[in-house]
Parts: sequence; structure tokens; C-alpha cells
Amino acid sequence: MGVVPKKWGPYWNPVMETLPHDKIRRLQLEKFKKIFAWSHERSKFHRGLYEKAGIGPQDIRSLQDVRRVPTVEKSMMRDIQRKDPFPYGDALCVPLEEVSEFRQTSGTTGQPVYQPDTWQDWEWWAECWAYILWAQGYRPTDRVFLPFGYNVFVAFWAGHYAAEKIGAEVVPGGVLDTQARILKIQELHCTAMMATPTYVLGMADTARKMGIDPVSLGIRRITCAGEPGASIPATKRRMEEAWGAKVYDHAGATEIGAWCFECEAQSGGLHVNEACFLVEIQDVETGEYIEEPGRRGKMVITALDRQAQPCVRFDSKDIIEWAAEPCPCGRTFRLIRGGVIGRADDITKVKGVLLSPSAIEEVVRGLDGLGDEFEVIVEKDGDIDRITLKVEIVKGREGERSRIEGQLKDQLRLKTNLGYILEFHDYGKLPRYDVKAKRFKDLRKGH
Amino acid sequence: MEPKMDLKAMDARIKTIRSSAEELQALAAEFPALNRNTARILASVKMLEINLSDLADQGLLP
Repeated sequence: MGVVPKKWGPYWNPVMETLPHDKIRRLQLEKFKKIFAWSHERSKFHRGLYEKAGIGPQDIRSLQDVRRVPTVEKSMMRDIQRKDPFPYGDALCVPLEEVSEFRQTSGTTGQPVYQPDTWQDWEWWAECWAYILWAQGYRPTDRVFLPFGYNVFVAFWAGHYAAEKIGAEVVPGGVLDTQARILKIQELHCTAMMATPTYVLGMADTARKMGIDPVSLGIRRITCAGEPGASIPATKRRMEEAWGAKVYDHAGATEIGAWCFECEAQSGGLHVNEACFLVEIQDVETGEYIEEPGRRGKMVITALDRQAQPCVRFDSKDIIEWAAEPCPCGRTFRLIRGGVIGRADDITKVKGVLLSPSAIEEVVRGLDGLGDEFEVIVEKDGDIDRITLKVEIVKGREGERSRIEGQLKDQLRLKTNLGYILEFHDYGKLPRYDVKAKRFKDLRKGH
Repeated sequence: MEPKMDLKAMDARIKTIRSSAEELQALAAEFPALNRNTARILASVKMLEINLSDLADQGLLP
């Protein structure tokens, strides 16, 4: 007897994802009280912070009260770790024998931070990712290829377990090199994959060099994470055209969890998973909390159910803003417009003008005739800032350099309000990155 | 939301599963295979609670 395929709806959790927002907020408050009390009781580090601020669990009666709880920064976690209970130190909230998973941050912003998780926390990671994958159309009929290293960085580990949880088939492409991964996708007719935007574009490039059109591989959906890109329209477009697939963004972090996702509607924002996370936006200059759409600020976030090393009012430095319109998908989880727009510690002043590296990416990848790779170098020439942008012209388009250069200058001026020294390089000459790129280099002292 | 889902009945079953699993874990204190597998069951039960029971407990079901 044949199996009758189940007809599934669009939501992983049809109750939570369509709950009226006032009820979501009431749930968040109750859950915040619990995780705050948990960390106050069990973490010497958190309790010390809260006692110094004169706030305890009995003081939290409203979401306004939540704002009085001190925030935690990554540097604070670095300072308390590598001590007993080894190696996690005073923020560990469970006995060491209950920790079943070790991961660490990538170290791009400094010494890595260790992240312990219990088995329950690990299930929670997979649960949060299940919301993501279901919203992006993954179903039990998908065969999902995972081209990542399966190592100490959390990366797509939870994506793997979530794909299993939702009933899909997982093909772990860990130890294979890029060419072997492409051949495995082709061999097994994989339908979906997860990777950083840098690797998605890199794989497409490798496939073409192998004489394989990436569109022919049959991947129909790609989930990106790990770096900005999938929410930068020009980069998303390049990835989608390269693969003939829908590309969806997700933002998460080792020390936070998988907190937001783009859905199939692709309405220009990412849904915050408000069932599992409490997101607050704080004005970077004034410290004021922002509720209304259209005003950017840095994100302070709480993971409402993570237990081993809780994430309570973590100052993520991610810059976000609430979207004005609800999503046509029907989810009541609020959207952040444009995803994670930048980082408070990436945004820098050049010649007195605030510059976000993602604005340059949008211009370069939005221009027909330019390659995917680019590099930005900021230096001091005496007292004056100098910014150089290196780009590649696509092979065979070298004759269009004059047109491309004109458009590039205009778009950069329009989008970043700056003039650049432009360097055009032959295709393939600029550095290639394997997984996460570091294209913006600020060589000025103190940067 | 899908019509005709009996959320209260689901919540009641989740609570029953937790209660049974906790009892089994206590009974199986000297039986690693049962004890550890039940710990995993309880982690999954926590996901059921996050997905529904936490709402029910706060009187927030639709």
C-alpha cells in the first residue's frame, strides 16, 4: 500500500506563529521572569551583576522592568571563562556533567567564547532551527546537503538536527572538498542546502570551472547564515541566479541561538522567533529603547529557554530596525527590516561619514559586469582618511570598464556618501575566502 | 490557525508524558539505558512544553 503524503500547513507551530501579539508579549514576560530567576539563582556571574545593579527576580513585573536588568557583553564572558567549573567559569548554571555539547564562537571579534549546552539546550537549538526550515519550505520530502566542517563552531549543526527533526533526509558533506561536494549533490539529487553566502557563491564558481551549471544540480532552496549577504538584495540575487534556487537568510549566534529567519514570502525582512527570544532595540547614541518601526538601534536579546549558559539581555551589537508592515505570510512574529543591517562595531567613520560595509557590498554586487569578490581598505594618509575599493571585472567584459567605473562611482557616492580610490583587477586576482569573508580592512591605528 | 485542534487535550497529554517520564527516570536510577534514554525523552517533552504548554499554563491559548 502506498504512503499517502501528509498535507502540511505553512507553520511549524501554527499556534505560536499566529498568536496575537499582545499574548506573545505576555508569554515573553512570564518566560523572562523564569530565565532571569534561573540565572540569578544558579550563575555566580549573573547574580553578581544583578546584585550590583540592585535588581532581583521579585522586581520584574513588566517588560519595562526588564530594561533595568543589566546587559551582558561578549567581553564579560571572555573574562570569566577558562576557570572552574572548567572551562566555563561562573556563568555555568548546570552541573558540569549535564553539559553534553561544547562549541565556541569563531573568534573574529577577539578570543573565542565557549558555549556549553545541555542535551535539552541542544534540542532547543534544533527546535529553533525547525521554525526556520519549515518557514523556508523544507519538508520531509527534501534531501538536504550540508557542506560545512562539523567542528567546534556551531555553524549548521543545529540545521542538520532540525532537518532530521522535520523529517527531511540529511546528507552530511563534512570532510569532502568543494568539488566532491558538488558531485555528491549531483549524484544524490539533493534539493536543498545550507551554507554561508561566501561559500554559496564559491561553490557556484567551482561548479562552473568543473563544467557544471549549478542550476542543473537541482538545489531549490538554500539557507544562508554566518555572515551578511542573503539579506543584501544584490548578493541574494547573485546567489539565486547562480543556483536557480530561492535563497533565504537566517541570523543566529553561538551565544544567543537561532533567533530570526526569512520566510517563503521574502518580504524584505526576517521574522524574530518571538516564542523563543525576547528582542529589544536600543538607540546606540542615547540608550533609549525603540519600539516603533524605522529607527535603527542595537539589539539586546534574551533566549527564553536556554539553560546551561543563559543568554539574558545580551548586547549583541547587531544593528536592526522593526519593519512597519506585517508579513503577508500571516506570522505575527515581528519582522526586522532588511535583516541584520550591520554591527555597531563594524560601522565606522571614514572622512567623518558613518559607513557600513554592507552598503559597499550592495553596490558592488548590484553592478552587472563586476565579479563577486571585492576588498575595501581604509588607511590614513597623514591626517586624512583614504578608502580604496578593489573590484574584479567579469571575464570578457573588460571592454565595458569605462561604463562600469562610472556607474560604480555614482552608486558609491549615492549609497555611502564617500569618494573611493578604485582599483580594477583581472577576474580571479582578489583573495577568495572559504567560508566567512573578511573583505573590509581598516588599517588605521586604533581600529 | 488550523481549526479543530483540541489544544487543551494536547496540553493534558504533554503533562501526562512528563509525569510518566519523570516517574520512569526515578525508577530507573540504576538502569543506565532506561535512565539516559528517559532523560532524552524529557528534553523532547520540554520542546512540547515550549511549543504549547507554556502558553496553556499562562492561560494564553487561542
